[in-house]
Amino acid sequence: MSEVDMQVIKPEMMKSYIWLQTADGSIQQVEQEVAMFCPMICHEILQKGMGSSKNYAISLPQRVNPAMLSLILDYCRFHQVPGRSNKERKSFDERFIRMDTKRLCELTSAADSLQLKPLVDLTSRALARIIEGKTPEEIREIFHLPDDLTEEEKLEPLKNSTDDPRIRLLNRLYARKRKELKERDKLKSVEAEEDRVDDRSVDDLLSFINGGNGEVRKFCFTDSKGVKTSKGKKKNRRRKDPQKNASADESVESHEKDSNCLNFICHRTEVDKLRPHPGETSKLPDEEDEAFAHKVEFDDGDIDDEIDPALKEEIDREVEDFARRLNSDWPERMQEILSLGQERRPVHFFH
Amino acid sequence: MQMDLDKISNLPGHIIDQILSNLSITEAVRTSVLSSKWRYKWATLPHLAFDNQCFPVSSQDHAILKNKLVNIVDHVLLLHNGPIYKFKLSHRDLLGITDIDRWILHLSRSPIKEFVLEIWKGQRYKMPSSLFSCHNLIHLELFNCLLKPPLTFKGFRSLKSLDLQHVTLAQDVFGSLISSCPLLERLTLMNFDGFTHLNIDAPNLQFFDIGGAFEDISFENTFCLTVISIGLYVNVGNEKRRAYANSSNLVNFFAHLPYIRRLEVQSYFLKYLAIGIVPRKLPTPCVHLNYLSIRINFNDVEEVIAALCLLRSSPNLQELEVLARPEEHATMATFTNCWEDNHCSLPFNQLRQVKIVGILGIKPELNFINFLLLASPVLETMSVKPASINGGWELLKELLRFRRASMQAEIIYLDP
Repeated sequence: MSEVDMQVIKPEMMKSYIWLQTADGSIQQVEQEVAMFCPMICHEILQKGMGSSKNYAISLPQRVNPAMLSLILDYCRFHQVPGRSNKERKSFDERFIRMDTKRLCELTSAADSLQLKPLVDLTSRALARIIEGKTPEEIREIFHLPDDLTEEEKLEPLKNSTDDPRIRLLNRLYARKRKELKERDKLKSVEAEEDRVDDRSVDDLLSFINGGNGEVRKFCFTDSKGVKTSKGKKKNRRRKDPQKNASADESVESHEKDSNCLNFICHRTEVDKLRPHPGETSKLPDEEDEAFAHKVEFDDGDIDDEIDPALKEEIDREVEDFARRLNSDWPERMQEILSLGQERRPVHFFH
Repeated sequence: MQMDLDKISNLPGHIIDQILSNLSITEAVRTSVLSSKWRYKWATLPHLAFDNQCFPVSSQDHAILKNKLVNIVDHVLLLHNGPIYKFKLSHRDLLGITDIDRWILHLSRSPIKEFVLEIWKGQRYKMPSSLFSCHNLIHLELFNCLLKPPLTFKGFRSLKSLDLQHVTLAQDVFGSLISSCPLLERLTLMNFDGFTHLNIDAPNLQFFDIGGAFEDISFENTFCLTVISIGLYVNVGNEKRRAYANSSNLVNFFAHLPYIRRLEVQSYFLKYLAIGIVPRKLPTPCVHLNYLSIRINFNDVEEVIAALCLLRSSPNLQELEVLARPEEHATMATFTNCWEDNHCSLPFNQLRQVKIVGILGIKPELNFINFLLLASPVLETMSVKPASINGGWELLKELLRFRRASMQAEIIYLDP
């Protein structure tokens, strides 16, 4: 072939391609100059000589799935062309980042793993713009963040700079709620202590069951089982047994007044279950174990699940009602104050 | 389920830092209320900026506002966890408080790289000695401060950019500060006091911007200096000219600036440059000078001669800005049209843009414009903006008559 021929053919046919493999195993070919725009890929090609064939495809980091790779390559394809003006690039960028928040986050992560700094800068700025100026609720909703800060972290009094009576009321309500929470905590710790302190023999406890029902007695368990199943507490959280709830509701009323009642109620349901086995004394050791384990789970579960959420719900409802009443009277101002309060809560010094 | 949908909380720490860095400090700290994971994400932010944008301006009592600000900075610094690389404090209500000393001490324990402090009102704030132990500083910016480094201060080894405005420094402090920062690339000095002799010994200096009252200025080893803007805010007395009759400010000035690309001669600096002997041309031409802006008094012959020398020594000038300083009509001595005979011998082969502002339409000015038009074969635009409406009409009439060397030249008359 003459030189002239070679020169004519060269641009098109000699364009080199790079093989890339994403974490899911799929392999694709990409124009070399486009792929080289990513520093990580560039490094793999130049330093390690990878990517020249299908067998030696460059393995991309896990955070780069095919969809993200496609987006990133679009970005690279546009920006690697040298002749573009700043204005063109900027308007491309602005159109490029118009995507839902979820993809934006994934894209940021993928671009970061490929060390593509300009794209990371672009997406970070976009995410910041999304966060900017929004209330915590709005941000949580957009990014699907769990609202899992403890209540105490959120329940901080609103700054009552104008001595507004409605804010005073709200603060009082919050104070009451906090007090209730504190009491609940105290109760929890008291019971926990009692759990550990109790060391009655198994026979003692057994005799109580066998003796019949109706006797109200403090019924707490030795702590080894208690401790073990405390881990199971989390599992129990999800279970919403209607039977339990019924007993829980009753105990709500009595909870604050007499902790014994709680045990009594749980015990009663347990007694019902155990009744069929009174005669089988030989089996009892095993069954006790099971029973005790079961009971402990039950108990602890009740303390954490059933009482608290119910009380919590009630208090939540109270606050909501109050807020609604305020809102209907004085919508705008109150919304503002409430939302400001919520924003400020964990950050004392911004009051 | 929730965990799968939440794509942002598990992004790497440096990315979260980057996202939060794009928010004001208030918004960034507010993210602590979003969820348990976000409680302390803001606390590793490497850049902290407390300025007017961060804090809502509320018309409260001054003392209360000040206390609030101090409280906030205290809390943020205390809750912050990790190195702080950039710190900016610039709030209009934060004035003359000694809490700043405490904060700087805290910062000096971090590998801080950029520090910006602006005291908006009140007297000069004396910088604490702990500032001078921030050895990692790369950029230092101070407004309305007083610097008195301890005797043990050996300079900022890594400092590349220094911006001092409305500062007080002793003469020797200034000298040693400049020479002990070997990596210095950018220097800005505005409205300073305490020193009047500027000797700039900075081998890496690229950008120099100064505006203030000084007696003399000289450069040493400044072979990287390409952009200069100098404004001398005090009028140079005429007796000075007689005193320095044997030296040449102009020649001395350019002696160490072979690579200068952009030069702004502002306020009375041209008058300063005109002191002493002004040659026809500089010994070595400024071949790299692309942009020149001069503030000139067309009535002052010596200034005009100095400007002419400078123009003769800048063959590659692309853009020229001339700002007239039309006072001092008293010094209107007899002058020949020094421009006339020159245009043939030194054409400006690259000059494309010319901007003339503030002229009155007097003879020297017109001669100058005529000269430029004849000496610029590739001129594209010349915009002329007189100082006032008076005489504008006359000026226009004269402008129309001038011949132009460049066929594409546009003369744009702008209303004053």
